[in-house]
Amino acid sequence: MVIDEIISAARKEGRTSLTELESKQILKEAGVNTTEIRLARTKEEAISRSQELGFPVVLKIVSPDILHKTDVGGVKLSLNNEEDVGNAYDEIIAAAKKHEPAAKIDGVSVQHMARPAIEVIIGMSKDPQFGPVLMFGLGGILVEVLKDVSFRIVPLTKRDVREMIGELKGYPILEGYRGQEPANIAILEEMLLKVSEFVAGRPEIKELDINPIFAYRDGALAIDARVILEP
Amino acid sequence: MKGIVGRLDRAFNPRSVAVVGDKMEMDYMWLRSLAHFQGRVYSVQIDEQEFQGIAALGVKNYLSLLDIPDEVDYVIVAVPRAVAPKIVQDCIQKKVGGVMLFTSGFAESNTEEGIRLQRMINELAREADLTLIGPNCVGIFNPKIGLRHTIDQYCGDGGNVGFISQSGTHATFFSLVGEANGIRISKSVSYGNAAVLDAPDYLEYLGEDEDTTIIGMYIEGVKNGRQFFSSLREIAQRKPVLIWKGGETEEGTAATASHTASLAGSPLLWDALIRQCGAIKVANLDEMVDTIKALLYAKPTTGNRVGLAAMTGGQSVVIADAFAKAGFEIPPLTERSYREFASFFNTIGSSYRNPLDISLNLTHLDRIIRCLDILIEDERIDAVVLELPVVFLTRLSWHIPNFFDDLIDAVALYKERSPKPLLTIMISAHAEIEAITAREKLVARGIPSFPSFERGANALKKVVAYYESATPR
Repeated sequence: MVIDEIISAARKEGRTSLTELESKQILKEAGVNTTEIRLARTKEEAISRSQELGFPVVLKIVSPDILHKTDVGGVKLSLNNEEDVGNAYDEIIAAAKKHEPAAKIDGVSVQHMARPAIEVIIGMSKDPQFGPVLMFGLGGILVEVLKDVSFRIVPLTKRDVREMIGELKGYPILEGYRGQEPANIAILEEMLLKVSEFVAGRPEIKELDINPIFAYRDGALAIDARVILEP
Repeated sequence: MKGIVGRLDRAFNPRSVAVVGDKMEMDYMWLRSLAHFQGRVYSVQIDEQEFQGIAALGVKNYLSLLDIPDEVDYVIVAVPRAVAPKIVQDCIQKKVGGVMLFTSGFAESNTEEGIRLQRMINELAREADLTLIGPNCVGIFNPKIGLRHTIDQYCGDGGNVGFISQSGTHATFFSLVGEANGIRISKSVSYGNAAVLDAPDYLEYLGEDEDTTIIGMYIEGVKNGRQFFSSLREIAQRKPVLIWKGGETEEGTAATASHTASLAGSPLLWDALIRQCGAIKVANLDEMVDTIKALLYAKPTTGNRVGLAAMTGGQSVVIADAFAKAGFEIPPLTERSYREFASFFNTIGSSYRNPLDISLNLTHLDRIIRCLDILIEDERIDAVVLELPVVFLTRLSWHIPNFFDDLIDAVALYKERSPKPLLTIMISAHAEIEAITAREKLVARGIPSFPSFERGANALKKVVAYYESATPR
């Protein structure tokens, strides 16, 4: 199984923190819709991956040693053509080497840049008393400032996911406030159930953070994700 | 009954009880609590100075548990902590049904000695499958057989409400305040430090218990959160379970550690757990009593629209505020209702808009009841709330003999015939003694009353939410 392979590869390298690429592959296997993400080891690969996925694209550094990609200049957004992608590739690799000279660099990830939408987040952490717990909230500034999040203990039922979405103060935003595009609540419910089912069956996962998820009228897409394994 | 449920059943329904270490200094509180016990009582005490006092209570004393020439179903232990492991060993050898340790000074003392002793009794009990309640608790209350925490508690007729409490005070107070409010205990347990048995064990027992239809819990922390989650999720589907969580603030959490050596846990997760399991969260003893009272004595509804009847203008305003703030709708009544009101209701200084201001109609008992009857028929109303102002009703009874009593009788009959829930709000103002007498009469007639609009609104809100969540969707 893909998930087992990814986890055992990380274990062999003595890592508990999975890269975005690995995290998304795992989530995809678990049935969570993520942005298509491909690894490029060279500038040429980065350009051809971009052509395959379609512009605009996002390039991000792929390194097990770099957790905060933005801080080291490891992320380039809104790349609209081959030339931009080539330059961005060089810049990212140079910046990463400058900031983290000792880091092992696998290359860059290439993703199609998704159309912006309402941002939501799903997280899993482990409570010493209750074990795995899922968190759901509105993304961006709302989660940071207002702490508008809800919690449920794994495993979640259909009713739990419906209620945990419904009890957010910002719920009207999901319904499409003042003519904005609404989120598809049924798809978000389904995503929460998939994540619950996945973490319930995988005790080796310590933490999971899917942030942000773009919630559209007709779908939902995990834009960034991070999985941490138990030691 | 198998496993822990069967073992607890023997301890909760003992035919013989032994008290170890009761003494004059404590006014023989444990032996005296057993004055009406429907079974055999023994004392174990080695201090010669206590022999006479124990004999004066008519209880036979032994020097060791092992000397008692009878099976012992339940043991109350009130010895100094250093002696506790020895008594636990005796209980194992005697094959007693269950033992509760009133003795404290264990893990909650956060001393090396206390922690060591708790670990010792824990290991002894677990190895021998001994049903050990506590330590640092007051154990089982089973009024039907006269097994009590204290002489203040009633015995005889038990009720149908079970209570599981980490605190002895809350277990005792709930039983006493509950009794004054028409809530009677089926079985209750205070379990302190939960060294061996914890909340899920007691919850599973009362979940199975046929005498128990509603379960209240006071919890400071649980040792196995997953087990508690799955027990609660299962049992709350069958019976309403109300949870009062102690230690919801940093300050309170510090106190749970020294009270029962409990890890209080995140309040956010406790709220999530309670909601997820379909249990009812209550904030304090008052909410516990109010909500259980509404479950027991108000007819179930999932509706959110209330018809409010106040006896004066000022109260009609604040009763509306209280119920609206709690999230209720106070809709206009139907035209049909208004036509009926117009046929008899004196509108001078009064109003039959919802909220009703009965004011000058107050002296006509038949009019009050007619107002309430209209609310039964009105399809816009799901629940009816009636204010009973103790001061005015008492004064009215001076010139209309028995007015208050007759009103209570009429309201009781109304409650019987109405398919909608009825709550009464009895604000005592300064007439507290009269309010107690009136409440006793209401309790005797099965009419739920609340001492403020806010408490009534809050209780109704909780039960409506409960019935709503219990309705399959």
